[in-house]
Amino acid sequence: MIKKKVLIKIVLQVITIAFFLFTMFPFFVVVINSAKSSLEIVTAPIDFPDQWSQLWFNIRTIWTSDSIRYASSVYSSVIITTLSLITISVFSAMAAWVLVRRKTGMSTFIFLLFISGLIIPFQVVMFPLVAFFRIIFETTGIRMLREYHGIIFAYIGFGAPLAVFMFHGFIKSIPVELEEAALLDGCSKPQIFFHVIMPILKPIFVTISILNAIWIWNDFLLPSLILGIGQDVQTIPLAIAGFAGSFVKQWDLIMTAVLMAAAPIIVGFIIAQKHIIKGMVSGSIK
Amino acid sequence: MKRSIIFIMILALVLGMAVGCTRPAEQDDTVVIYQNKVEIHEQLTAFAAAYEQATGKKVIVKTSGGDSPYAEALRAEFQSDRQPDIFVIEGMGGYNTWDSKLVPFENEEWMNHTTLQFEVDGKIYGFPVAVEAWGMAYNKDLLEQAGIDPATLTSQEAYRAAFEKIDSMKDQLGISSVVAMAAGPDMRWVTGLHNFNGYLSAGLPYGDTTILDMLNNGEYDRERLTEYVDWVELLFDFADRTVLLTGNYDSQVSQFATGRSVFIHQGNWIDPWLQSNNIDFPMGFAPHASVKGEHNAIFIGAPSFYVLNKDSKNLEAAREFLNFMAMNEIGHNYMVAEANMVPAFTNVTLLPEAPLSANVVEWLAKPDGAYTWLQNDMPDGFGMGTIAPIYEAFAKGDITKAQFIDQLAARISEIN
Amino acid sequence: MKKETKDKVVFAAFLAPALFAFVMVVIIPFFMGLYYSMTDWTAVVGRQVNWVGLRNYQNMFNNVAFQYSFFRTFLFSFLSVISINLIALMFAFLVTREIRLRNLYRAGFFIPNLIGGLVLGYIWQFIFKEVVPAIGGRLGISLIENLLLLSDPNLTMFGLVMAFTWQYAGYIMMIYVAALLNVPQELLEASEIDGANFWQKFRNITVPMIAQAFTITSFLTLVNSFKQYDIIVALTAGGPTAIFRGQVVDSTELLAVHIYNVAFKYNRMAEGQARAIVFFLMLSVVSIGQVYFNKKKEIEM
Repeated sequence: MIKKKVLIKIVLQVITIAFFLFTMFPFFVVVINSAKSSLEIVTAPIDFPDQWSQLWFNIRTIWTSDSIRYASSVYSSVIITTLSLITISVFSAMAAWVLVRRKTGMSTFIFLLFISGLIIPFQVVMFPLVAFFRIIFETTGIRMLREYHGIIFAYIGFGAPLAVFMFHGFIKSIPVELEEAALLDGCSKPQIFFHVIMPILKPIFVTISILNAIWIWNDFLLPSLILGIGQDVQTIPLAIAGFAGSFVKQWDLIMTAVLMAAAPIIVGFIIAQKHIIKGMVSGSIK
Repeated sequence: MKRSIIFIMILALVLGMAVGCTRPAEQDDTVVIYQNKVEIHEQLTAFAAAYEQATGKKVIVKTSGGDSPYAEALRAEFQSDRQPDIFVIEGMGGYNTWDSKLVPFENEEWMNHTTLQFEVDGKIYGFPVAVEAWGMAYNKDLLEQAGIDPATLTSQEAYRAAFEKIDSMKDQLGISSVVAMAAGPDMRWVTGLHNFNGYLSAGLPYGDTTILDMLNNGEYDRERLTEYVDWVELLFDFADRTVLLTGNYDSQVSQFATGRSVFIHQGNWIDPWLQSNNIDFPMGFAPHASVKGEHNAIFIGAPSFYVLNKDSKNLEAAREFLNFMAMNEIGHNYMVAEANMVPAFTNVTLLPEAPLSANVVEWLAKPDGAYTWLQNDMPDGFGMGTIAPIYEAFAKGDITKAQFIDQLAARISEIN
Repeated sequence: MKKETKDKVVFAAFLAPALFAFVMVVIIPFFMGLYYSMTDWTAVVGRQVNWVGLRNYQNMFNNVAFQYSFFRTFLFSFLSVISINLIALMFAFLVTREIRLRNLYRAGFFIPNLIGGLVLGYIWQFIFKEVVPAIGGRLGISLIENLLLLSDPNLTMFGLVMAFTWQYAGYIMMIYVAALLNVPQELLEASEIDGANFWQKFRNITVPMIAQAFTITSFLTLVNSFKQYDIIVALTAGGPTAIFRGQVVDSTELLAVHIYNVAFKYNRMAEGQARAIVFFLMLSVVSIGQVYFNKKKEIEM
């Protein structure tokens, strides 16, 4: 009986390791191939590189190239992702809170409107959105396309439905008595939100931020329409899609660029792994 | 309270971006050029800087190539509220899309030194960016070993005999196939544009658009189409299957570069790839025998043209910039030495170094050494989107030769 | 100020930023799109927009490429939902067992989810085109060496599902892990004492507990496979070709890609928009139906 249990354990262990290695294999491919030249990469794709120093050469090529503009796209990606994360979370939490606490027909309607946003795919609104942003510019003079604030504004709009939905569900479970007590202590409504509610929402903040960070950092279609490829403001996916030459795939540089794009987010994940996994597990089921 | 302060700071930051981000980066007298060649972006930017130094006028270069082809990106660009002063079209297709946005060049000095300008109804709309050409690029050493003189490769019969001979010597020459040819999803420009251009212009006098005009009216010449498909079949039959079906640019060029094929269906734009990998065996171009008869010309043309945006506030400055490129030595040096292009202007005396580009100059000097580029004058998306997949299906053997001809014919007749 | 008015002000002020952005980027463009889909809109500035009624919709259903894309999208979504959920469930079981380094494995399975679709597509394209043949050559198996995975429509579909599973299974695993950790340990132990075997325990305790999670995961996988764009663009660019009703079509030009191509490649914006509207309707019907069906099941269990 005990022997059988041990055997099962060993089998499970082996299966897990096999899956793990399979999952890691593409990363291995990327790492060994990001240190090759354009000829070496097609003639010897599964060999270790001749010279690892080629990696630095490739990185330098990408980092310093005027046409790829990698450094500035890292900067843009960081700005767009962070500001979008913060604004989506804070604005959605605010909206969700008043929608839960003020029970009128109006708030139900608005909540349902947000929910309807969950099933509207991006493809339906993408062409008119660009046209609409242009109309905004022509009528008000406010530029929305090709600008940081334009894309962040778009991310708030697209991110709000899910965030409002998740906050809404969570806030419903917070007892009103907490707020009433604070009200008696003389807090104003906004104070209650920032002092009492926000701290309680922390786990949901983490979950939503992780989901949004993965989405926004990697997003391609929305920035390609709002920011445009080859324009002043470029995110990393735009830079990668843009630099391969219209007809030419430079695998050597693509692999290095892939490594450079993936490395920071993977390292960040490994460092904050415990919190992220906890946030994902606790948030996802609610 | 601390949290409220943080929150207010965030809000302030967001509002600050809304104001702060409307950068006055592009002043009104700055010329913006939006172009499609990623590989010359740096050189062109450097040239723009040199231009600013010489004249004090600022030019900004923006580039889009990549996986979202330029025509799509340009469409998005014109939907946006910030349009370029100079942009790129590739031929009639682009002209038809953008005609309401274009303004012709008049009395420019560069016009006297080129025949490759883009012209509609006698009005000159396009400044030729460069000259490019493709033919059957060959590896001179391997051809010599096989005992074939490239000068004899002028007809389908001659090619068939040569291909068969080379194919029988495969092991001796160390090749995996005679031709490096690609027809897969990544390479639709090779089949749908370049190869198909043989149907449009091979064997016709330079500038003859009879077949193209027929195509744009939904008509085709069945006999010519059949002859042309013989040529496609010949190329596919003697190509390496892996490269043909799934190959990308790298794998196609590297097959030729490593001596595993004698020919490659590509143009002089492969020079930089070869140079960066230190490939320097002698090579040159032989004509495509796209249809029956003798051929003594390769496909030479301007791949793209700089055009002026009618609504630009800097038309004069934009014109001056282009004129400087064509007329000033700094411009010549940029085109030939820096960007490795074959210039479209006869007043340029610098000669390209790279072997295939140098060979293009030789062909250009021959009388009647050029067939016209008409592949960019077909309707939007016809070459790469509509017909290129049919080549792929034929290459895979999903359809027979007769079906291939029928499908091409059917797609042509669907053009209104 | 009266309390009621004050409350109203707070209500409006707190709601405004999120609602304003949402209405501006989703709701208004949605209705604009509805209108454009019934016109000859080209998006070129200054060109007049004319009403054409339902013509764009009629063209769509007669279009062979659209019909094919429609079926392939369903096929892709169906295969992805099954593949992702199976793998994710298996991962979730493995990493909740008492095995060594399970936190490492859990993190490892999740990591591909951090990679964006575009980047991921390039990686897998390279694997299928260069690495697989090279491995075949190394092993001396000519079948693998000459497989040409990305030239066969069905193998390419399989490749896409595989790449998408690689990306998404780790994320879905997390949801299953949460569900599995919610299974009360006492219940399992009690049933063990009662002599229940592994399958009985699985069937009677675990399955009902993860049914709720399955409603979420199948919804997420379904919606996300339906909307897939980035991976396809980078991995296959729509190819390879297939033959459908006697015409050559692009075998992996799934709806999201198809819509983009119609609008931008052939410059038929209004037709692309009409297809997008139909895409939206399909997605709504399928996803709402799916949730409804699963919720009913959940209660029955």
